Amino acid sequence: MVETFTPAVCGSRTRQRLAIVLFAGGAVLASAALGAALGFAGGLVGTRPALIVAATLAFLAALREAGVLSVPVPQSRRQVPERWQYELPLPLWSAGYGAGLGVGFLTFQPVATFWVACAAALALGRPLLAAACFALYGAGRAFMATWPRRREASGPAAVERLVGRASLVPRANAVVLGLAVILLAVAPAAGAAVTSLGRGFDPAADGRTLARARMSSGTIRVVVNPAGDPADTFSPANAPALSGDYLAYADDEGIKVVDWRTNHVERQLDGAFSHPALDWPFLAYIAHDGDYDRLVLADLSEPSNPTSRRIASVRNAYDLGRPSLRGGQLAWHRIGRHGSAVFVQNVTTNKRRAIKKTDVWQESNPALTTKRIVWVEQRPQGSYLRMRWLGSARTKTLMHVKGRKTFLWTTALSGRTAYVTKWTPSTRKAVVLRVNF
Amino acid sequence: MRRPDGFLDGAARALSTRLASGMTRRSFLGRMGGAMLAATGGAAVAAAVRPEKSEAFHFCGHIWTTGSCPNPLGLPRIDKNGYPLRPSDGHPIDNLGRAVNGEGWAVDGSGNRLRAPDGELLPRAPRTRICEEWTNEHYGLHAVMEGAWYRCCGGQVRKLVDCCSHSKKRINGDASLTGYCFNGRRVFCVMYYDSGLKC
Repeated sequence: MVETFTPAVCGSRTRQRLAIVLFAGGAVLASAALGAALGFAGGLVGTRPALIVAATLAFLAALREAGVLSVPVPQSRRQVPERWQYELPLPLWSAGYGAGLGVGFLTFQPVATFWVACAAALALGRPLLAAACFALYGAGRAFMATWPRRREASGPAAVERLVGRASLVPRANAVVLGLAVILLAVAPAAGAAVTSLGRGFDPAADGRTLARARMSSGTIRVVVNPAGDPADTFSPANAPALSGDYLAYADDEGIKVVDWRTNHVERQLDGAFSHPALDWPFLAYIAHDGDYDRLVLADLSEPSNPTSRRIASVRNAYDLGRPSLRGGQLAWHRIGRHGSAVFVQNVTTNKRRAIKKTDVWQESNPALTTKRIVWVEQRPQGSYLRMRWLGSARTKTLMHVKGRKTFLWTTALSGRTAYVTKWTPSTRKAVVLRVNF
Repeated sequence: MRRPDGFLDGAARALSTRLASGMTRRSFLGRMGGAMLAATGGAAVAAAVRPEKSEAFHFCGHIWTTGSCPNPLGLPRIDKNGYPLRPSDGHPIDNLGRAVNGEGWAVDGSGNRLRAPDGELLPRAPRTRICEEWTNEHYGLHAVMEGAWYRCCGGQVRKLVDCCSHSKKRINGDASLTGYCFNGRRVFCVMYYDSGLKC
């Protein structure tokens, strides 16, 4: 590339600079696009297998670079097509060269690091973050197109001098890959990244909008945080549930459903009701009826004629907790002295199944999407945030908190992001954690 | 019909002093273990399994044979019905290891019921029997609380209870013993109940 981006090839110094800029842009954009694609694919296949693959590849690559192992690197032994310089206008060929080298796999791979980076981008499982990381690969390509001639007028001479020092590269690369193996091996929970979002409890999520309750001067408020927009606060309000622009919450009068963007009250259910779950126009809630707690599902599509039906009913020695409603599936827990269980019911067919049932532990506070369900399992050793595909019997632990002083409580789920309340009764401190998996 | 260990409960009140001073299962096994190790020349090791020191191996009244049943806080202390108690003071606990009041609600050190972040009272966690529910769920057995024997521990009569099943393996992973089980059952794991009776 150094030999290509000269005034002679480009036509003038101005055109040379333009070609370098376009080459750099093409390389960065192409590598970012590759990173985004890998991050997206990682999100589909799951980050844990990709993390294991990345660590294994990094280990093999480190051995290869150190000369211990002789492994061929998958590569396309081609250079950029020279004829483009003669057939295409400068903006096209320079950007095309950048894109070709930026995606990596269309040209020579003297070291195995590129494939380790690909596996690591898969393991991230997040397209934007993987794109940002992989864009550095394109930036490196662009940098190497200009840097060798920094103190050398002749591009080819600069390249030859650089090649003369190439024997250092595999050794340095082996060290870096060894460090990568260590970092990948100690990655927290092999892919589940936990971030504290600050004070609050009872999270509710839909898309990138998060709502939570907050205790402030003895009053509970609901704060809605849409991505990129200022927060909206509703007070007094408790136990939020989100569905698009609709927010359901409980207050002293019962349950209200509002458009959180306009504050307009869409529906209002007065009575001893609590713990709403919203999938507009359906609303599930707990009705307190004397000695009984009942889980009720209401259809609010007709404002003048809302309909409701009972899904479950228990004596109030039991607890039905906070239900979750998404895509025609309703999830809730039942905790009693003799055991606990998490149930999911298809509200159309009324087919019900126990996701987890136990005589010993406390299974509670489920949240679901159309594909997955998360819930909290409490044991004497600590609290565990469990996740399961709705069609599968395999349970995955997303995170856990050790001990009995602090435990996990209510949950929310949106795509591959779970939210959970972490609660310490002795200090009355509640925070919402975000768990990306 | 009265359970066989119920008879033993009654007998224990009268016999507690004798049981505490006589040749017991603990002391017998402890002395046997000591003799065997001494025979192999391990004098220092043998000293560690003298009957007087045997509680160091498991819990008072029970030497290193069948292991404890699964339990919330590490030692399988139970009440007379088999529900878990806090080993340190005998306070009732739920399956999460939290102290509970008489109705099963989790309480703090002052006896106040624990609350959720929104101020609502926390629901009652499960509180189930160590043998019949815990062991059955963990190991897929139909275990029942059967045999019992008595020791003097900390100045009071301790009832040691066998959790029995038809499994030929015990909780330790090796062959189970008949112990004080009956109807073909064998000891899967052990628990204890402190009676409060002086000995």
